[in-house]
Amino acid sequence: MNIPELLAEALPQDCVTTEAWALQSYGCDRTTIWPAQAVAVVRPRHIDEVQRCVQLANEHGFAVVPSGGRTGLSGGAVASNGEVVLSLERMNRIVDFDPVDASVRVEAGVVTAQLQDYARDKGLCYPVDFAAAGSSQIGGNISTNAGGIKVIRYGMTRDRVRGLSVVTGKGERLELNRGLLKNNTGYDFRHLFVGSEGTLGVICEATLALAPAPADPLVLVLGVPRFADVLEVLASFRQRFSLSAFESFSDNGLRKVCAAHRLATPLSTPAAYYALIEVDECDGAAEQAVAAFEYCVDQGWVSDGVISQSLGQAAELWKLREYLSETLAAWTPYKNDISVAVSRLPAFLAEADALMAARYPDCEVVWYGHIGDGNLHLNILKPERWSKDDFLARCSAVTDELGDLLVRHGGSISAEHGVGLLKRDYLHYTRSPAEIELMRGMKALFDPRGVLNPGKLIA
Amino acid sequence: MKALVPIKRVVDYNVRIRVKGDGTGVDLNGVKMSVNPFDEIANEAALKLKEAGVISEVVVVTIGTAKAEDQLRSELARGADRGIHVVTDEEIQPLQAARILAELVKRENADVVIAGKQAIDDDNNQTPQMLATLLDWPQATFASDIKIDGGKATVQREIDAGAETLEVDLPAVISADLRLNEPRFIKLPDIMKAKRKPLDKVELSEFDIDVPKLEVVSTSNPPAREPGRMVKSVEELVAALKDKGLV
Repeated sequence: MNIPELLAEALPQDCVTTEAWALQSYGCDRTTIWPAQAVAVVRPRHIDEVQRCVQLANEHGFAVVPSGGRTGLSGGAVASNGEVVLSLERMNRIVDFDPVDASVRVEAGVVTAQLQDYARDKGLCYPVDFAAAGSSQIGGNISTNAGGIKVIRYGMTRDRVRGLSVVTGKGERLELNRGLLKNNTGYDFRHLFVGSEGTLGVICEATLALAPAPADPLVLVLGVPRFADVLEVLASFRQRFSLSAFESFSDNGLRKVCAAHRLATPLSTPAAYYALIEVDECDGAAEQAVAAFEYCVDQGWVSDGVISQSLGQAAELWKLREYLSETLAAWTPYKNDISVAVSRLPAFLAEADALMAARYPDCEVVWYGHIGDGNLHLNILKPERWSKDDFLARCSAVTDELGDLLVRHGGSISAEHGVGLLKRDYLHYTRSPAEIELMRGMKALFDPRGVLNPGKLIA
Repeated sequence: MKALVPIKRVVDYNVRIRVKGDGTGVDLNGVKMSVNPFDEIANEAALKLKEAGVISEVVVVTIGTAKAEDQLRSELARGADRGIHVVTDEEIQPLQAARILAELVKRENADVVIAGKQAIDDDNNQTPQMLATLLDWPQATFASDIKIDGGKATVQREIDAGAETLEVDLPAVISADLRLNEPRFIKLPDIMKAKRKPLDKVELSEFDIDVPKLEVVSTSNPPAREPGRMVKSVEELVAALKDKGLV
């Protein structure tokens, strides 16, 4: 019996599809490097059906790709090798909310923005936020330990996770950490599953900590002629404020966003780099911001700047940053998502800049990032005349050099996008051979037959 | 040519407002306040005309609490030359506002008033029209384009059937609609400069605003929307629509 028939027999009929559009659409994420080659798409409504699907995979030896909103940028949810895609999108209920615990129990298919809205209605906030929040799902966020634009204040997805229900690669169901804040009873498997990219188990439900509702945002965009000074600006704003975001982007990125979305450029005189800073609106905040700005201008770090006068303008200014990733997609960018300690950013960047200029003389490089977290997104844009394969080959070669550079500066080859297929062969630049061997051992323990997301994260 | 631009401090457009438990109004405690968006557009229009050399001075005026100075400073930072703040804690209604503004127009000898078409808090859409009447000036409301040349203003305005173009003799009152322009972001150096721009404080007692006032009897939430119903097929949808007499 073939795999789709097996699945159709064991699961409710409408859970399984092999229609061409579904195989295509569910077989891809935001990367456009690997073709979709799924054999079936399973969309369960209940954890029992997830478990049944994984058990079948073990019995019959087929591979399963757990799948969420498919907004990933590293190919972690790509099914290009005849796998079965296990989409959690129908498991999208908010199961429980507890105002005393300030936590919420959700199924894996809940869309991030849906949870954000729900928390807001309850007078609280789910603070993990990024441009894809309208499509990404909680299960995917957890399995990639998603970061985003509020990490500087609230941390990564990991910091939200209080409990998980998972089906391991072996087909066992585990309740991890029981939603507890304090639970010192040995190995905390919950944290193993955060960031495991669907290689250990399928995350089905999660208990997530909510944060108090934030104050209204006050947003500034400052023009910074030299990159190293962005960090000086960060330091001087940090002295005055508890920042809720500190983002940066280069002028070529800004111009592309403004052209694509018909937005007005915020400053009348362009600068090579911009810093987008968000602080809490409160009495005196605007005066403090003006004072910090004045200081940065006096030091020669900042050339110009604007400040939001209303919540609408704050949202307008955020568009300049949030639309970047989507805007650049038109250029089939090769994305490097790297991090180093914030203090080491200037030294790292000086070398990275030189490397980019030397290795990509024909390519436009757009960078932006969560500077406050030491996280940079270096986007190499594909020149139109190059084929995709040529371009990828060139980029991969440079990634090795970038890897060496990251080793020297103690950084990471993937700050928040995960490893997936895209960065798998570069993992050794961040993790030692001993670590990678332990990862393999861990994988064998939870998924002895290797049915879950094979080939992702570790070869 | 001198332009007078009235602005109002209102609850921010993006705030989800809450009605007070006792129904006496909207809860403004700790709520973000901003310049009325239509007033930002009006000031932007005045400033564009100033940059084009048509207007020589833009005076922004607000009537409100001491805190409304923040909004006045914002509009000075946007580029207005001077501010007038009529300070009061009293709630001012359109006819009172129009009387105060008429008096200020005379004192300032202004040639044109460019105002937002309405404030988003009470949505009255009355003050510019009343002001024109009190001054016995022509009015051109809901402007989506303003041209001033040779003592006349040519104003395009949005009407139900499309666009209408009016020509009015100056002095006149013009009220700004949403599509007139997109207000610029306010630059930080201009906020610093705005601190030093002249801002006159005027007492409310200087104006004759003894007019009948409207009394708000109660404020309540709109009725909750009835939940939708999922239908399984087109047939069921058509049947449901027929049942409701909609097709």
